[in-house]
Amino acid sequence: MKTTLLLTTATVSALAFTPAMADYPDRPIELIVPAPAGGGTDNVARMLNQYLEEELGQPVAVLNVAGGGGAIGVNQFSRARPDGYTLLSTWNSPITTVPHMQRVQYSYETLTPITSTSQSAYTLCVAPDFPAESGEEFLAELQANPGKYTYGNDGVGGTMRLAAERIFEAYDITARPIPFGGAGETLQNFLGGHVDIYGGSITPVLPYVEEGQAKCLLVTSADDNEALPQASGLAALGHPELETVLWRMMLGPEGMEEERAEAVADAVARAVEHPEFQEFLAAQGETLNLVRGEELRERLKQETQAIGETLENLGLKQQ
Amino acid sequence: MFESLLNALPVALQLGSLISLFVGTLIGILIGALPGLNPVMAIALMLPLTYGFDPIIALGLVAGIYNGSMYGGAIPAILLNIPGTPAAIATTFDGYPMTRKGEGGLALKTACWSSAIGGIVSALALMTLAPMLAKVTLAFGPAEYFWVAVFGLVSIAVLVGQDVSKGMLSALLGVIIGLVGIDTISGEERFTFDSLYLSGGFELLIVLIGLYAVPPVLEMAEKRNESYFNSDSFRAKPSGGSLGLLRRHWRTWSRSSLIGVAVGILPGAGGNLAALLSYNEAKRKAPDPETFGSGNPVGVAAAESGNSADNAAAMIPSLTLGIPGNLVAALVLGALMIHGLQPGPQLFTRSPDVAFGFMWQMLLTAMLLLLLGGMVATRLFAQVLRMPSALLVPTTLVLMAVGVYTVNGNVTDLYVMLAFGLAGYLLNRLGFPLAPVVLGVLLGPMAEQNFRLTMLIAQNDWTVLFTRPISLGIIALLAVVLLSQLWKTLRHRRQSQDQAA
Repeated sequence: MKTTLLLTTATVSALAFTPAMADYPDRPIELIVPAPAGGGTDNVARMLNQYLEEELGQPVAVLNVAGGGGAIGVNQFSRARPDGYTLLSTWNSPITTVPHMQRVQYSYETLTPITSTSQSAYTLCVAPDFPAESGEEFLAELQANPGKYTYGNDGVGGTMRLAAERIFEAYDITARPIPFGGAGETLQNFLGGHVDIYGGSITPVLPYVEEGQAKCLLVTSADDNEALPQASGLAALGHPELETVLWRMMLGPEGMEEERAEAVADAVARAVEHPEFQEFLAAQGETLNLVRGEELRERLKQETQAIGETLENLGLKQQ
Repeated sequence: MFESLLNALPVALQLGSLISLFVGTLIGILIGALPGLNPVMAIALMLPLTYGFDPIIALGLVAGIYNGSMYGGAIPAILLNIPGTPAAIATTFDGYPMTRKGEGGLALKTACWSSAIGGIVSALALMTLAPMLAKVTLAFGPAEYFWVAVFGLVSIAVLVGQDVSKGMLSALLGVIIGLVGIDTISGEERFTFDSLYLSGGFELLIVLIGLYAVPPVLEMAEKRNESYFNSDSFRAKPSGGSLGLLRRHWRTWSRSSLIGVAVGILPGAGGNLAALLSYNEAKRKAPDPETFGSGNPVGVAAAESGNSADNAAAMIPSLTLGIPGNLVAALVLGALMIHGLQPGPQLFTRSPDVAFGFMWQMLLTAMLLLLLGGMVATRLFAQVLRMPSALLVPTTLVLMAVGVYTVNGNVTDLYVMLAFGLAGYLLNRLGFPLAPVVLGVLLGPMAEQNFRLTMLIAQNDWTVLFTRPISLGIIALLAVVLLSQLWKTLRHRRQSQDQAA
């Protein structure tokens, strides 16, 4: 009885909102993904898209505009009409990191924040014979041996390297970054013994942790990670503010109507509830994380500033 | 291990798997044959549609598209001098001259058999030697990659043909094109002239289509009133049986397949390197190296078995280590993970049916090529040449433009393609070979980056380049290639001097 009543109320309120919602979206939406087809960002965007189309009731066409670390796609997107029929699905680096290193036509201040979707932390792992068994010991070992250890990372200005450098900076650690083309390449060089420390996403290294060929001692999120019990999160080390993770979001062009942004954010919030999508995220090592509107802008602002400082200290910031 | 391999055979032979292999191979051949459309894009677009199916069906599609496109790329390479995929460049060297001579049918048949054989050898290597070869993959650090790249660059010396200085200049031009963009080691921009587009560097596919595909179209347009192709090439049934092919090419096939497998297990090296190295070796070993480039079927056989043998082998690091050897392998990893299978050391013990089933599928689709390739290529595509060039020229250009646009969805890419097209046309006219340009674009940055990575890791101690056993092995190979070439040149010179006297 109670459920019926609730359902009726829900239906009624949904009906009441219908006139306001009906005019948007009333034609197909174009979703720009500033990464090539087949990459991590593209996979997640396309998967979410299947459910987003259902929720929005309109087809959403994915357009991959790759290049310039995502800047080319976001630049093109920032010139689109802010009518809500061109949206952006991106990861954080093109918004919070790339503008420090290249001239771009957008910033976190101009783009319209809609909602973040999911995130995953990076991890630092070492060989089983490394003289440390916990996050604390690991950092102490690095501190005691400046310049001795090499860590593979996703490249100069890549989010993974910045995540590591922010931690190293706070602990006064000098480790030698070796820039590879991605987590796969880093893993190959780590397993082959060519670098001392693996720095990259969690999923690729997981089987080696289970096999005992690698021990992961640190994750770059504030929270610990269930899949890596030996690794410390940054909160456990007393530095939750040093968190740098890979996260994904949807944005609109400058000046997009707030109602339309809300409508998209609501649709995303419903789309991510599909169990198939959640299973998919888990397989990718990502967790849901929905932050919307001005709160999202605040998150972008803080991250942009923190990364700007780190880049300046590394001498990578271009002005 | 062999028991699990046998147990997985029925899985790969079930109806759903066979249908997906058949469909995948067919789609693959078509995608490979259309310049610009590439297997990575096709697989990325199709995989989400298969999430609801059994993983073996999704993987069957991938295997089919992957192997099919590697052969499909040879079709326009042979018929129009346009490599359908980057790996088909070496196929144009002799495939297209064969078409001009009226042997297009034979070239297509040779390519089909060579692709199938390369694919089969590669799949067998994947099935039997995967865990062992994976150890080799890990032993290759930046120092070893540097030497592999140098080996490839030195082989330019064999590719350049008559005029060595022009060949070297072409190669240097390629290296400079490869340098454009953000340097991956320091983060500095190089040759970007403050352009946001250039800071991303040139996409290899776009450079290739421009350099290789636009000039032949321009040439076709110039000669619109003459009969451009020898009409014998249109015949659906080429002369000469399959047994003859086997007898003629088995040496080339075995050599190129081995090269393909060796290149395949190194993540990041790729099918184009496999094909070019195979072509070089075939030319070096041949009694008649001067006929290469003017329509020698051995050249087609070497290139096609080389690039196809890269395919299944590139899956070795991907399945056994969880390290993708190329973009397709990365997509396969993604597909496995979506179905809850963790790639890496445990894949073979936890889900042997899927892992070994996929290996069988790679073998089956290589065999399917013989059936489908012959049918589609000779019956359908060879008829393309019957089109008057007034239709063929614009159709080809539009197809290329569509393909290039879909890579990044960026209009500037089209202008860049045309610019490289004009450059390619000029270089052709001035007698500069194009193959060294491509090798330069491909291997210049690979050599540079890995050299600098080696120096970063070893803190500028350059002796590490010469102290590691695998590096020494590659250096020894390099010396053999160089010395044998030198020996040949000297002998050739002495002979011609004798004749002059």
